[in-house]
Amino acid sequence: MAFNLTRRKFLQTASLAAASVPLSKVVSANSGVSKSALDAKGTFGDKTVVGGICEMCFWRCQLVGKVRDGRLMKLEGNPKSIDNGTAICARGNAGVKLLYDVDRLKYPMKNVGERGAPKWKRISWKEALDECGTKLKATQDEYGPHGICVFPHGASAKYPMHYFERAVGTHNVSEASFFQCRGIRDTAYVATIGKAPGEKVDMPNTKVLFFIGDHLGENVHVSHIKQYVQGLQNGAKLIVADPRFSAAAAKAHIWVQIKPGTDTAYMLAIMNYLVQNKKYDADFVEEYTSGFEEFSAAIKEWTLEKAAKECDIPASQIKEVADMLADNAPNVAIHPGRHVSWYGNDFQRERALACLTGLLGAYYVKGGWVPAKGPKVKGVSWAKHDHGHEFDLNYDHEEDEKVYTNNPPGTPTDLIRDCAISGKPYPIKSCVVWGQNPMQTIPNQEKMKDLFRAMDFVMCVDVMPTDVTAWADILLPEKSYLERHDYIKKGTQWDLSKEHQQYISARMPLVEPMFERQDQVYITNELAKRMGHGDKIPVQTIEEMVDKSLASADLSLAKLKAEDGIHIQPGKDPYGVPEDFDVLLFNEDLDDNGHPGAPTYIPVEENPAGFARLLYGRAPVHTFNRSQNNIWLKNAMPDNPVWINNEVAAKIGIVDGDTVGFVNSEGVESTTTTTVKVTAGIRKDCVYMYHGYGSANPLMTIGVGQGVDDTSLITKLAIDPETGCHGMRNNFVKLIKNGKVLDLSA
Amino acid sequence: MSPADTSQDISRVYRFLAQCMEYPDSEWMHDDFFNVFYNFIGTLGATDEGVEIKRAIDGAKDALEDLQVEYTRLFINGVPHVIAPPFGSVYIDQSLQGTFAGNTLAFYREKGFDMEKHADLPDHLVHELEFLALLAEEQDHAGEEEFLQKLFRPWFRKFHIRVIDGAHHPFYRVVVQLIDLFTKEEKDGFQPNEA
Repeated sequence: MAFNLTRRKFLQTASLAAASVPLSKVVSANSGVSKSALDAKGTFGDKTVVGGICEMCFWRCQLVGKVRDGRLMKLEGNPKSIDNGTAICARGNAGVKLLYDVDRLKYPMKNVGERGAPKWKRISWKEALDECGTKLKATQDEYGPHGICVFPHGASAKYPMHYFERAVGTHNVSEASFFQCRGIRDTAYVATIGKAPGEKVDMPNTKVLFFIGDHLGENVHVSHIKQYVQGLQNGAKLIVADPRFSAAAAKAHIWVQIKPGTDTAYMLAIMNYLVQNKKYDADFVEEYTSGFEEFSAAIKEWTLEKAAKECDIPASQIKEVADMLADNAPNVAIHPGRHVSWYGNDFQRERALACLTGLLGAYYVKGGWVPAKGPKVKGVSWAKHDHGHEFDLNYDHEEDEKVYTNNPPGTPTDLIRDCAISGKPYPIKSCVVWGQNPMQTIPNQEKMKDLFRAMDFVMCVDVMPTDVTAWADILLPEKSYLERHDYIKKGTQWDLSKEHQQYISARMPLVEPMFERQDQVYITNELAKRMGHGDKIPVQTIEEMVDKSLASADLSLAKLKAEDGIHIQPGKDPYGVPEDFDVLLFNEDLDDNGHPGAPTYIPVEENPAGFARLLYGRAPVHTFNRSQNNIWLKNAMPDNPVWINNEVAAKIGIVDGDTVGFVNSEGVESTTTTTVKVTAGIRKDCVYMYHGYGSANPLMTIGVGQGVDDTSLITKLAIDPETGCHGMRNNFVKLIKNGKVLDLSA
Repeated sequence: MSPADTSQDISRVYRFLAQCMEYPDSEWMHDDFFNVFYNFIGTLGATDEGVEIKRAIDGAKDALEDLQVEYTRLFINGVPHVIAPPFGSVYIDQSLQGTFAGNTLAFYREKGFDMEKHADLPDHLVHELEFLALLAEEQDHAGEEEFLQKLFRPWFRKFHIRVIDGAHHPFYRVVVQLIDLFTKEEKDGFQPNEA
C-alpha cells in the first residue's frame, strides 16, 4: 500500500481540514473514554476481595483476590478457611491466567461456516438467545423434549441441567463427572452401604492408608492432600497398588506393582485371607453387615496363590498387605478413589473396596471411612416434575427393565450417542453442551463427531474455546468462577480429630466480568422464556438463587461478605456407627438382576501382541483438559511425556527424551507427538501419560498440539455392565518414531 | 489554519480511526461511511486501495457479514486462532489486563479522563484512539506524544504486523496502515511501503 503523503505533509496542508470534517459525520457519539468529573484517581494499591471459590478443579478451595484498579493481581487461600486455609495449588494460583486468557470467549458467536470447521461471527445476545430459543423450541415441538440432549459439567451447569431435565423434561443428560469418572464408585457404594462415599476417609487419624490406583500428590486437592500428608506425618502406613511408581507409590511402605485390570482379584484374595484366617472384625460383621455367608462362599476360590498369578505379584506381598490391614483394623482408610471408570469391570472393584472396609470394621471409626457432619443448606433450582419413563433411554421397554440397573443420575453417554446417531428408538436433534468438552472427556471422538453431525442444532456455553466448541452453531461466553456468584461450599474442619466446626461459604465475584460474558441463570432463563417455560423460572438472578439458598441456613450474601466470605459455626462429632447402618456384603438385588451379588473379578482383555496398555492419570498442575491453555501451567508442565519401562525401551532403541507418536490397536494414530520418559517405575505391559494435553482446537493458542491427547487413542469402549459407565483403560498402543511403528513387547 | 483548527482536525481523524476499529454494525457501517472512507484515503493518495476495498464490498453476497467474520477472526476468537487481539497488554504482558493495561488507565486518569461503564478494557485500540482524539481536542500535544511513545507505539507496531500478515479482507489492512500513518513518529523516517 502507498500513501502518497507523509503524516507531517498531510497535516501541514489545507487538505487535512477538507478531508477531516466529513469524518465526524460517520462517527458514533459514544466514546469509551470521557472527561472525568472527579480529580485524577491514580492507583490506590491492592484491595483484598473476599468470597472467591476456586473452580480450577472441582475441589473448590476458598479464595481471596488481591485486586488493583479492578484487575485481579493475585489469588490466595482465604485465611478464614478451615478447609484449604491460606493454601491453594498451582492451578488455583493460575486462575488469574484463565481469567485474562486472551483466547477466552468474549461475545456470543454464530458459526456461519460448518460444524467442525467453523467461521465465527460475533452476534448480539438477543440474536444468539433468539436463535438458540427458536431452534431448541423447534426440536422440542417437533420431536418432544427428549429430542434434546445435554452434556453439562461444573458448578455453572447445574442450573441449566435442572432446567432441561425438570422443566423441559428430557432424560438425555449425561455428565462426564459420572459416566466417565466417579459415578461407578458412587453407585457401587450405594449398593453396599446405601450412600455415595465421596473421598471421606479419615486420613489424618488412620493407621493404614490403602490406595488402589490413587495417586495423591499428582492428583492435588488441597484439603485432601493436607489430610493425606497429616496421616503420613502421624505415622500411618501406606499401601499403594499401581502398575506405576506414582507419587504415592514413592511414599508407600508397600508398593504393589499390580497388573492392570486385576485389582478386584487382589482385593478378593485379601478378603478371603481375612475370612479364612478369622482376621476380620467379627463383631462389626455380625452387627452391621448382611450376606456374610454368601459373600464368603463367593470369594472362597481367591487364594493368595491364585490372585498372585492373576495379578502378577507375590502371594507373600498380598498376605503382608492383608496382615497389615488386619493388625491395624478398624483404624484403616480404604480409599474409595475418584476417577474409577477404568476397565469396564469397575463396579465390582468399588464393591470390593466397600466390602473390605466393612470386613475391617472401618466405617465411622477414627481413621476409617467417616462422613463428616456438615451444615445443611438447601439448594434452589427448577422444580421437579414427573416426565415419566416412556422416552427414558435408561429403560428397556420391551423387557420392562432398566438397561443398566445401577446407573448414576442421568443417562449413560452411549445410550444417548447411539440413539442420536441411529435415530432409534427416536430422533435426538438438538444438543446443548455446557462447560463440558466431550471431545476430550468421552472416548471415541469419531462417534462424538457423528452425534454432532446428526443434530439440527448445537449450542455450547463455555469460558474457553475447547475442542467441542468447534462443533457449535451458537457459542455463548460464560462468566468464569472469578466473575460470578453461584456455588455454595460447605463442610467441616479438614482434620476430624480437631475441634468440631462447620463452615458455609458462597462463591462471590472477585472482579467484574469483562466483555459480554453472562452467567448461567441469565442464559437459562432467557432460553426458558423463548421455549415456553418462562412461568417455571425459579429465580430471576444468580444472586437471588444464592441468597435464597443461604436463607435456609439463616445467612445471606451480605452476611457472608461481612464475615470475610466464610461463616463458621460449631460442628458435631462424626464418629460412631449409625444404628441402621448396613453393609451389604452380598447384595440380593444385584443377584436378582443378574449381576454378581458378591464382589466378583471379571478379567479384562489381554494385550494384543506388540501392544502396551495405555494408562492415563492426572497431572498435578492440570485439571483434565480444562487448564491446558493456561500459560503458567503450560510452562510448569509443557507436555505429557509417556512413561515406558526401561527394559522395553532398551529393546526397541528408545531413549529418554525421544519424540514419539502412537498408533492404537484399532489403527488410530495420534495427531501429535510427545517425549519419552524411560523409567523402571512402570510395568513392561503398559505405558502411562497425563491426561488433558494435545488440544486439537487452534483457538487454544497455548494448548493446541502440546503433547498427546490420550482420549484420541481411546477408541475401544468398555461398558461397565451394572452402571453403563465407560471403561477407558482397555486400549493398547505401539509407538511411532520417525515414521516407524515400534512394538512394545513386554 | 490555526493550531486549534489543526488539533480539531487531528482529533476527528483519531476518532474516525477508532470508529473503523469498532465491530462492524449496520448502525454505522453503511454507504455513507464507506463514501467518507474512500474519499479520505483518496486524499492520502491510496486510490488503488479504495478500489480494492470497494470491489470486496460490492462483490460480496453479504459485505457486512464478511467484515463481521473477518473482525471476529482477527480480533475476537478466530480460526485457526485469533490473529491480533487489539489490546496492548497482550503484546507487552502476554495477557489481558496486565500491568500495561493498568499503566494505560493510570495515564488516562492523570490527564483527567476515565473509562465509561460500558467501555472495553482501557488498552483496547479503540479506546486508545478515542483518548488520543480527546488529547488532540484539548491541544495537549505533549501528552499526545508521550502517550504515543510510551503506551501506544510499543504494542501497536506488533499488532500492525499481525494484521497486515493475517488479514484476508483489504479493509482492515488499510485501516491499520492508516492508524500507523497517523501515530508513527516522523523522526523514525516514514516509509510509505513499510508493510
